[in-house]
Amino acid sequence: MAKKAGKRVISEDQAVELLALFVSSAQLLMSEPAHYGPLRLLTATERLSAMMLERASPETRPFLELAIERIPQMHMQMSDVEAYSAGLEELNAAIGECLVRRAGLE
Amino acid sequence: MSNDVLDAIRKRRVVREMTDEPVTQEQLEQILDAGRWAPTGGNLRQNRFVVVQDEKIKRLIYQVSPGMFQRPPAIILICSDLQLAIDHQLGEDKPTFLMDVGKAAQNMALAAHSLGLATGPVTSFSQTAVSRILNLPETYVPHMFLCLGHAAPVPQFNVRAWQRITWRDLTSYDRFPSGSGGG
Repeated sequence: MAKKAGKRVISEDQAVELLALFVSSAQLLMSEPAHYGPLRLLTATERLSAMMLERASPETRPFLELAIERIPQMHMQMSDVEAYSAGLEELNAAIGECLVRRAGLE
Repeated sequence: MSNDVLDAIRKRRVVREMTDEPVTQEQLEQILDAGRWAPTGGNLRQNRFVVVQDEKIKRLIYQVSPGMFQRPPAIILICSDLQLAIDHQLGEDKPTFLMDVGKAAQNMALAAHSLGLATGPVTSFSQTAVSRILNLPETYVPHMFLCLGHAAPVPQFNVRAWQRITWRDLTSYDRFPSGSGGG
């Protein structure tokens, strides 16, 4: 667990890329509709997942793969609140599963 | 009724996923020329175009553009040069400038479509960060990226899917009947 926790899965360049996405999103969200908030967070999730995939542990990979596959589909469903909520439910179930596995609870 | 222009208007779509296939210099120049021919308020011609093809710079732009889902081979940034507004004693925040950006973008998108290329506009980016990355002159205000390339053979997403409408749904003639609002 300690080894897993200390493993570096993204580079400094990639981290800076995410920082840029976060702060530019924050600035934009000041004047964007409220429902763009989830969109920006999911965009960041997708980009981080793609960055991590190569070096991530087997416990984490299923979530990353789901995020990379599912989030672009969710972008296409933005106006369908039910489908969008279902996508968020699926992603949250997967991250819950990932957390349980990484903690060695099951 | 149909002709080449009407067909292009009806068939152009916003594309958010593009291939790596490059855009030729000739195509690029044709598209920029179409942008130049767009009408501008007072014929001020304050639109300025910045073409970005350098991979490193495109990557930096992508990083501060949450609304950019494409990784396009070429990007055209449409700016307004506010110096012209100052010189002509026009308000710097006049909406005419934004309208002019839209007109140039549409001309370029249609020109690209006619050349077999795809476009996707992006306005969700940090103007502050983009100005610094591109080292824009102080009077240039960046308004819109027009991503340019070839559409990837995948479904392209709409931020908001609407029911199909026609021009009739959008149009009224002459005066609205009494009780419709107004003064």
